[in-house]
Formats: sequence, C-alpha cells, structure tokens
Amino acid sequence: MLERNNQYALMKRKIDTEVLKAFFAGTLEKRVDSLPIDIIPRDRDPNRCCVYKERAMVRYRIMALLGFDIEKDDDEYKPLADYVSEALHAEPKPLPTLTTIAVGCSGCPDEQYRITDSCRGCFARPCLANCPKDAIAFINGRAHIVEERCIKCGKCLEVCPFHAVIHVPVPCEASCPVGAVHKNADGFVEIDHDTCIDCGHCAQSCPFGAIVERSSLLHLANLLKEGREAVAMIAPAIEGQFPGSLAQIMAGIKALGFADVVEVAEGAHVTAEHEAEEVAARIAAEQGFMTTSCCPAYMNLVDKHVPALSGRRSGALSPMAYTAEMCRKRNPDAALVFIGPCLAKKVEAVRIEEIETVITFSELAVLLVARGIDIKEISPHELPDAALYADCREFAVSQGVAHAVQRRTNRPVQVMNIDGVDKKTVRLMRTWEKRPPEADLVEVMCCEGGCLSGPGVLVNPKIAMRLRQGTEVGKVGARPIGDKKRA
Amino acid sequence: MAQRKIAVKICVGTACFVQGGADLLLYEDFLEPSLLERCVIEGTGCLGGCKVQDAKSGAPFVEVDGNVHANVTVDRLRQLIKEAIDA
Repeated sequence: MLERNNQYALMKRKIDTEVLKAFFAGTLEKRVDSLPIDIIPRDRDPNRCCVYKERAMVRYRIMALLGFDIEKDDDEYKPLADYVSEALHAEPKPLPTLTTIAVGCSGCPDEQYRITDSCRGCFARPCLANCPKDAIAFINGRAHIVEERCIKCGKCLEVCPFHAVIHVPVPCEASCPVGAVHKNADGFVEIDHDTCIDCGHCAQSCPFGAIVERSSLLHLANLLKEGREAVAMIAPAIEGQFPGSLAQIMAGIKALGFADVVEVAEGAHVTAEHEAEEVAARIAAEQGFMTTSCCPAYMNLVDKHVPALSGRRSGALSPMAYTAEMCRKRNPDAALVFIGPCLAKKVEAVRIEEIETVITFSELAVLLVARGIDIKEISPHELPDAALYADCREFAVSQGVAHAVQRRTNRPVQVMNIDGVDKKTVRLMRTWEKRPPEADLVEVMCCEGGCLSGPGVLVNPKIAMRLRQGTEVGKVGARPIGDKKRA
Repeated sequence: MAQRKIAVKICVGTACFVQGGADLLLYEDFLEPSLLERCVIEGTGCLGGCKVQDAKSGAPFVEVDGNVHANVTVDRLRQLIKEAIDA
C-alpha cells in the first residue's frame, strides 16, 4: 500500500478543491473545461510522460469526482461542462463505487522474480539448491530464472546472500484480497465488479492513480448550496483527521451548512450491545465463534467469497445503520450524510434507504478548504453527553470493537483479531468451517490498523493516533514515532 | 558562543494540514539529528499563504527564520533548514 499523502493523493485533493471552489463561486460550468490546463500549466515538470497526459488524467479525475463511471460513461467528445450539468440534474447512481481509468494504467509487467546484476555467480548457489521447481539456470556464470518453471514462491529471494533477487509485483493485483483486479488481454487494469468487495485497497495501492472511487461530493455540495436540511453522521475515525479537537471538527462541519452533526459512535453503542448479547448467548449454548459485522468490506467478502461464514456473523446492524435510524427519528426530513474513511460504506449505504449519500474524510477536507473553514481556529461545538458511547469511538481502531463488546457483557469473552484482510487471511477464513478459530468473538477489520487506515482517510495513522490521544497538533511530531512514551 | 537556533514554523491550518502539512509534523522521524538540534520546530496557525491566489504557490506553507515558503515537502524542508544554517 502506498504512503498516505503521496504526490498523487495530494494532486487529487488539489483537483477536487479547485472544482469545489469553482462550484461554490458559481463558475464551475464555465471554467471546468479549462481546469486541467490551470492545474497542469505548460511549464510544470510532469510526473507522467508529458503535461498533456497529465491534463487528460485531470479530466478523468474530475469525471470521477462528478460521480461518473469512467468505464461506461467516457465520451471524449463531450465537454466537461456537459458532464457537470448532467451530474447536477440527474439522480446519482453510485454503484459500482470503484472505476478504472485505462489510459492512466501503466500496464505494469506481470508479477515476477528477477535476478539482478548483483548476482556474483557464487559457488554455494543457494538459489539453485532451494528452488523447488528447478527454475534457476546458470548462464555465463550467473543465475537466471526460467520463467516457464517459476512458481513465484520467493525462496531464491530469501536465500541469496547478495540480495540479488528482486520481486516485482503488480501493485493493484497484489493488494486485492480476492483477486478481483487483474490485467485484461491488452495488459491494462480491469475490475471484476461481481467479485469485488469494495475494500478500496487497489485504489490505495496504484501508484499511477488508474483506479479511482466515484464521488458524490458534488451532489452533496449542491444539496448544501441549495440550503436543504442535512445531518452529518461522522464515523468514529474522524478524530485525529484534522488539526483540532473533535468538538472543533464538529463545529467545522456545522459551518459547512449542516443542520446537525451526530457521532456514529452513538449507533456503535447499539451495535456493541447487540453483539455482546449475541456472543453471550452463543457461549451459553456452545455454538462456537461469532464474527463482528461492522466492517462492510468484510460483509461483502463473506457474501461473495466465504458463504460458509454467513451464519457466523453477528446479526447486529452496522453503527451507520443504527445511527441513521436515530437521526431519522430526530430529523424526519433531513438528508442524512455519512462521513467516513471507507469506500465499502458507499455500497452499504445504497441499501439503507434513510441515507442520502456518503463521503470520505478526504472529500470532507476538500469541502472545508473550498469553503475556507479552518478547523484549527474555529471555536468548538458543544459536545453532547457521550458517557454511554465514548468508548465506541474506538470502533475505528483495531481491537476497539472487541473491547467495546467485552465491556458490555459480564461473561469472559475470548477474542481473536483479524487486523487487515489480504489473500492469506481469506485463505484462513475458508478453513474456519472445518477448523474453527479458538475464540468466542472474531473481530474483523479489512484495513490493517482499523478504519484509521481506510482508503478515505487524510492523515498518516500514526499522527491520527497521537491526535486522538490528545496531543496538541503543533507538537504532534515532537517525538519520534517509534518512541513508546506518550507525547 | 551558543549557536543561534533556527525558528521553523509548520502551518497546521486546515488547508496546509490536508495538503501534506500533516506529514511534515513527523520531522523527528525524517530530519537528521544534526539538523534537529539546530532548530526549534513548532506547528503554527494559518500563515496566510493560502489566502493569496497564485497557481505557483500552494499549501503546505512553512516559515523558516521569518520567511514563508510554499509547496514544502519533506525534502524541501530539509533543504530549507540546511540553507538557513549555512546563511
């Protein structure tokens, strides 16, 4: 997975900000077709082959921001202005969430192990001895890999004393836990939407930005601009994403024009209560392990790939679903907007009638910057009495859900954590039917570290953790990250 | 004579923070100890750079010894501090 704020992520945020600024200034339709040129000026030192390709990619990025499915809706003759007016007048169709930009795909070579010039052609030849498929040949005194025989096990890489063997992965394919991303016959990226679980790992790992999520940010901006009543439901991971306290973040969101801001931790409390009850009943009836159900990518994973676990999942609804129910009672007419770190939530929300739309923290940041709202300077919102659900803010961190469940039951609950899902974990889950895990409760989070590392977050999880612990933002880096003492 | 410390202020206004300023706050992790001991680094409220509309100068902003610099990356921050030490 790529470092959080890489150059592509920053460029994406810049493009989104420019689009939103123009939208709020009322000049979007007029300006949008020249935005790629404004953002990528002629004298820029390009990160792609040339500025023209970069501009083309900006155009695609804008289309995804407007909510279009680039795989289906790409019409090169159509000006962006037409896309804008279409986006503003049509009902958004958010599925599938992920879409690919074939021209942005670098067509990376197939995954391979390669022996570099550092090979000394040594006498011991551990690569030869350890290769299970006899795929190492010595030519002119140097090791070579015989492609047809190589099974990519990586043994030669492990044993070479000169580190002469390198592994070249295809980042998107490697990051997908279920093999839904692959290269098509032309060698470019393709997502199999029927098997995709919307975890967003591929979008997070492509260094060329060829996989993007479709956004509903413009839809939301339009809703706010028209002054429709909207309520923001903020995911527990939000604390630590911005340079200010939770109360300041809430104030900032209100300043965007939301009628109210509600913490999804409130709904998480209901989820945790349900799960605590369920797990206690299962232990009493000796029914074996139960898994959590709050991670929507995991829910998709079970539905599409590990159906044997269907009955093992907790029957509790997600914190988002419970929070939506509560908000609907309090504000019957408001449009409910979920703000979170997750792309799979966009898919889950389509099934929940109450929810109008879902945006990510990155998209929220763009809204704040476009409106010139500074979280650091804003005076804090009054925090509601959170005594009941304060511990559920930790739903965002690996082990946080399990802890919340444990606290709500009087039985001892044995817990197992699945912290991040990859191909290996999926293989493990498939064995659970025959060899169940030795635990009462299995907490599953598809992103390593929890929602704090989701594809829609803004901040390096290490910084987010420190801000969540109450470190003042200006001093958040005042001690090396490895240092265990709390800053 | 005690060496003069270089004053480095990293903007943590929202615009800078989300455009990569947050990563600059990890300076303890990426700056060499020899540079760290020569400066006093702190986060600061909005330096005002983002209010000036100019395609070339973008967030994040960092002030080094009173001069505000735009588009500061990890590498650029290191370079700016080195320049300030040499000056």
